[in-house]
Amino acid sequence: MPEINDQALEFLLARAGLHLTAEQKAEMLSVYDGIAQMAERVRKPRGHMAEPALVYDFTEEDLT
Amino acid sequence: MSGGIPTIAEAARLIASKRLSPVELTRACLDRVRKLDPELHAFVRVTEERALGDARAAEAEITTNGPKGPLHGIPIGLKDIVDTKGIPTTCQSKLLQDNIPDIDATCAERLAAAGTVLIGKTTTHEFADGGPSFDLPAPPARNPWNTEHFTAGSSSGTGAGVAAGLILGGIGTDTGGSIRGPAALCGIAGIKPTYGLVSRAGVAPAAYTLDHIGPMAWTAEDCALMLQALAGPDPRDPASASRPIPNYTAELGSGINGIRIGVIHHFHETDNKVSDGTQRGITAAIGTFRDLGAEIREVQLSPLQDWLACGSLISITERAAAYEEWARTRLGDFSERVRSRLMLSAFVSGVDYVQAARRRRELRAELQAVMKGLDVVLTATQPAEAAKIDAVPKWDLFASPSFTMPFNVAGYPAISVCAGFGEGGLPVAIQLVGKPFREPTLFRIADAFEKVTPFRERRPTIVAV
Repeated sequence: MPEINDQALEFLLARAGLHLTAEQKAEMLSVYDGIAQMAERVRKPRGHMAEPALVYDFTEEDLT
Repeated sequence: MSGGIPTIAEAARLIASKRLSPVELTRACLDRVRKLDPELHAFVRVTEERALGDARAAEAEITTNGPKGPLHGIPIGLKDIVDTKGIPTTCQSKLLQDNIPDIDATCAERLAAAGTVLIGKTTTHEFADGGPSFDLPAPPARNPWNTEHFTAGSSSGTGAGVAAGLILGGIGTDTGGSIRGPAALCGIAGIKPTYGLVSRAGVAPAAYTLDHIGPMAWTAEDCALMLQALAGPDPRDPASASRPIPNYTAELGSGINGIRIGVIHHFHETDNKVSDGTQRGITAAIGTFRDLGAEIREVQLSPLQDWLACGSLISITERAAAYEEWARTRLGDFSERVRSRLMLSAFVSGVDYVQAARRRRELRAELQAVMKGLDVVLTATQPAEAAKIDAVPKWDLFASPSFTMPFNVAGYPAISVCAGFGEGGLPVAIQLVGKPFREPTLFRIADAFEKVTPFRERRPTIVAV
C-alpha cells in the first residue's frame, strides 16, 4: 500500500483544485489508509483483456 | 389500516368506492404534518396550497370519471433532490437555496400524471450524501419510532414521513442504500428497482452509474403500485432501459410455495455481524419463508468489503466529477460531511476508478452465477436498529461495510421490508434481492411476508399522541 506524506497530499490537492485548511488536511491524512485499502481490494491479477463494466446492460443470461 | 392511517392500496379502494375523499385524506396528512413535523423534520418544504389544489382536482375528476388509477388522490412526498417545476429544489444545500426548476423530474411528472397529491419536498442529506448534518439549511429528519434516533439516509424525510403517516408514499433515491436504509430504520418498505427501470432525469446525481430512483411506502404492495406509475423508458435519461413494463401487482397473493431463496449468511454473520435483534429478525423471517413453502439455501459471494471498496471508489469519483466545479470554487459552502467526502476524491486515481469498474464486472458476474437456480437472495438491510442521531460516525464509510451497496454495484433490484423490532423498540429489516427486472417476484415474496407477520399493524407511538 503506498504511503502518503504532506508533500504528496499537497500535490494531490493541487491537482484536484481543492483548497483545504491545515485541519482538513490533517483529517485527510488520517483517513488515507481507508481509501488506499479500497484501491488494493479492487486489484487482482485479471489480465489485460478484462474489461470494465462500462457498457451497462443486462444480457438475456442475466434474466434467466 | 394501522394507527388510523390507510395504506395506498386501502386508500385507493376507499376513494374508488367514494368512501374517502382525497381532500379529507390530504387534510388528515397535512394535520399530521402540522402536529408532528416540528419534531420530525421530515419536510424541508410543505406545499400545502399545491396539495389542496391537487386534492380538489383529483376529487373533481374522480367524481366525474372515476379514478384513473390507484394513485389518484394519494398524498405523497418527493425527496428534495427531485426537480419540481416552480417549487424550490434545494438538495438540502446552501448552494441551491434559490434553485427553482423550470420542469419536473420525470419521476415527479409521472407521479403527478397518476393523480398524486404533492404534500411537499422531503428532507435529504445534502446532495443525497454524507449523513445527519447539523450545518445545513434545514435540520436532519428524526426517526418517528424514537426522535432521538437517526432515520438513516439519504432519503430520510421520505422514510420518516411515511412511517408517521405524513404521506402515504414517496420518492427516495439510492446510490448505496439511501432508499433501503431509511426504509429499514423507519420500519417501512422501500425498493431500489433495477438500474435503468426508473428514470433519473431531473434528479440531482450522487454517482451516475450507481444512482437509482424508487418508491418508499408502508407496504411492498404500495411500492408496487407506485412503481407501476414510475417505471418505463425515458429519452431524458441516457441509462433508461427499454423493456416492457409488467403488472407489478399481478403476482401478489399467489403464494411463495417453491420460491427459491438464497441466504447470504456470511454478509450479516461474519463480514459485518449484525445485532442480536436484527439476527433474530432475519432468522425468524427465514423460518416464515420456509413455513410458506419456500426452499432455503445458503449462498456465498465475495466479502462485503470487496463490494464496498468497488462501490465506494466509483461513488467517490463520480460524485467528485459531478460537483467538481463547486468543490473547486465553493468548497466551504458544502456541509462538513459532504465536503469531506468530496475531498476524498483527491486520493482516488483514474486507474483506481477503472480497476473498480473492472472489479464491478466480476462482482456482477458472481451474483449472476449465484442467482442461477434462485429467485431471490436475502441478507440484512442495516446492521442494527437506528443509532442515536448524534452518534453516527462521520466516517461510517470505513466503519461498517454496507449491506446495500452490493446491489447498487450490480444494479439488481432490492427491497427492504420490516422484520420486527429490536431491543430498543425500533424496527429491524430484511433485504430481498431479485433478478434484473423481476420486481414482480420481489413484491410477491415481500407482500406474502408482510401479510403473515404482524409488523404492518404497528405504527410509531408518536402518531397516536
